[in-house]
Amino acid sequence: MKELLKELCLTDGISGDESAVRELIINKIKDVCEYRVDSLGSIICFRKGRKTPAKKLMICAHMDEVGFMITSVRGDGTLSFGTVGGIDPSVIIGRQVRVGKERINGVVGSTAVHNLSKEQREKAPDTDSLYIDIGAADKAEAEKYVSPGDCAYFSSEFAELGTRIKSKALDDRAGCAMMIELLREEHEYDTYFVFNVQEEIGLRGSAVSAFAVAPDYAIVLEATTAADIDGAEGAKRVCELGKGPVISFMDRHTIYDKELYSLAFDIAKEEGLPCQTKTMIAGGNDAGAIHISGKGVRTIAVSLPCRYLHSPSSVIESADLESTYRLVRTLSKRIPEL
Amino acid sequence: MDLKQTVTALSEVHGASGSERNAAEAALEMLRSFCPDAGIINGNVTGHFGEHREGLPSLVLDAHIDQIGFAVTYITDDGFIKVGNIGGIDRRLLPAQPVVIHGKRDIKGVICSVPPHLTGGSSKVPEIDEVSIDTGMTKEELELIISQGDSVTFDVSCRELLGSRITGGALDDRCGAAAILYALEMLKGKKTAYNVTVIFSAQEEVGERGAKIGAFDINPDIAIAVDVSFAYAIGEDESKCGYLGKGPMIGISPSLSREISDGLINAAKAGNIPYQTEVMSGLTSTNADRYSVNRCGAKACTLSIPLRNMHTPAEVIDLTDVELTARLLAGFITEGE
Repeated sequence: MKELLKELCLTDGISGDESAVRELIINKIKDVCEYRVDSLGSIICFRKGRKTPAKKLMICAHMDEVGFMITSVRGDGTLSFGTVGGIDPSVIIGRQVRVGKERINGVVGSTAVHNLSKEQREKAPDTDSLYIDIGAADKAEAEKYVSPGDCAYFSSEFAELGTRIKSKALDDRAGCAMMIELLREEHEYDTYFVFNVQEEIGLRGSAVSAFAVAPDYAIVLEATTAADIDGAEGAKRVCELGKGPVISFMDRHTIYDKELYSLAFDIAKEEGLPCQTKTMIAGGNDAGAIHISGKGVRTIAVSLPCRYLHSPSSVIESADLESTYRLVRTLSKRIPEL
Repeated sequence: MDLKQTVTALSEVHGASGSERNAAEAALEMLRSFCPDAGIINGNVTGHFGEHREGLPSLVLDAHIDQIGFAVTYITDDGFIKVGNIGGIDRRLLPAQPVVIHGKRDIKGVICSVPPHLTGGSSKVPEIDEVSIDTGMTKEELELIISQGDSVTFDVSCRELLGSRITGGALDDRCGAAAILYALEMLKGKKTAYNVTVIFSAQEEVGERGAKIGAFDINPDIAIAVDVSFAYAIGEDESKCGYLGKGPMIGISPSLSREISDGLINAAKAGNIPYQTEVMSGLTSTNADRYSVNRCGAKACTLSIPLRNMHTPAEVIDLTDVELTARLLAGFITEGE
């Protein structure tokens, strides 16, 4: 799964611009299931099982990642941009990016530390004040390569750190990788698999695809905020790498189905898998749109704990990928039997 | 010599102040083709260029070989590496920054950060003692490879931008070293007006320490510190900056020799080489400050390559400026007809 994950992470696809990721995924799954692409660009797959269950199950993950959109080319040849999805300016400045269809190299510059006042040194700059420098001498040169509306992407290496993986876009290509693997397995029950667009700008693809599929149950595969870093103690750690899949009881968009929540922990116990919950109510994911879709959908989110989310250097633990996968595989058998 | 290749090769080897060995050895290898006697003396790469003739004034071409970085101070029970800074670090850009820890072998890591989901969007700039590095390894595993004092640098490769501009992590001041090497190539076989010695000096970023002992050792009459200076970019004060692509910045300052500044300006004019001036009203914060007050004193000047985003992993230069710097140095040093 690591090679598949690498391929997915290194393919660029910010919200609204998921086509490269979509093509890659379709290539991986076209021989194992029926699929269609909906009007926003999400891939809705139907995987035939041995039986058709009374209640419909949908498993989903999102294809999009956070990134940037060029808003204007300035007189000096630098590029103004907006963030697509929530990105902290401290992980934008001083980074390499790639811009536009031709993936021109660029950097996000910032005033040299030597020239900052004492106060300025203690505060990350506003995102609005940042710009991308592609080395253009002036506006005319920049405009040969870049137009407003072009996307820009973090340029980041996929690296193994000990037993961990560091990359951009682990949120949520890790979920996509698990779904592709699941699709390749034999299934007891018919199951819908949806690769959603536009999660990072407000759970938009999932709102549309969930309405179309109209499931009774949903499993949202995600990557979520682990903050188990030095200096963070107790609840501040939120969830931890190496302690298995994260099952949330509540975040800022969803209060999760209690029966499904318990079922996940029961399965983890039966199978000897680690499993944890989050110790802080924060964030949200496609479950927010899905659980209130149509007449309502009983929803569970199963997330991979991930450090430094929404940065070019997110980090996950390989063992968590494996245990999360195994938990979801069993959940997909047991939920239709509820 | 392929200038882009030289700049890239030099800036992709690591050498935080005090741990310059890798960078110094790479530079030494390159310098040896011009200065066969070159060696590393107390951290400084030093070599004599060409034939030194009786009666000529001695001139040092200096570029510093060190870069900013961190030193490992501690490994926590959870396996996080704590560090102190080496030189002027911009702490605002540290969160989630990829780094390499140079232990018995190189280990990749990421500086810890807290995502916006958990901070309410207002992240605080970390103090250096709040910085931790995540390597995916346990304390026990790390202790076999990493020791206190090992250096840490940003994990960044050079990339080509548009035109002749490039970005990289230690262009300050490896592009200065490349400019000197390129100048030596132009000077090869020519008669020089000075007895030229090259010093790629250590520990500039922590207070020009390598230059202090290098200056004492060589005791030059003239010294030119080839370093980088601020290129104008959004957020910078235009009146205090040069521009990318408009040539080397010749220093003018009460602490520098006006004779050398003027000499460089004249050489630029004579060679039709574009240049800019960099006027500083006191010290220069470069190695020139050390050469000028060495022993009985020396005539020192700065020659700076304009650079954006100094001390970040996103430094930007224009290779044209490096080439023009080399041409100016060669023009200044070549003996007149």
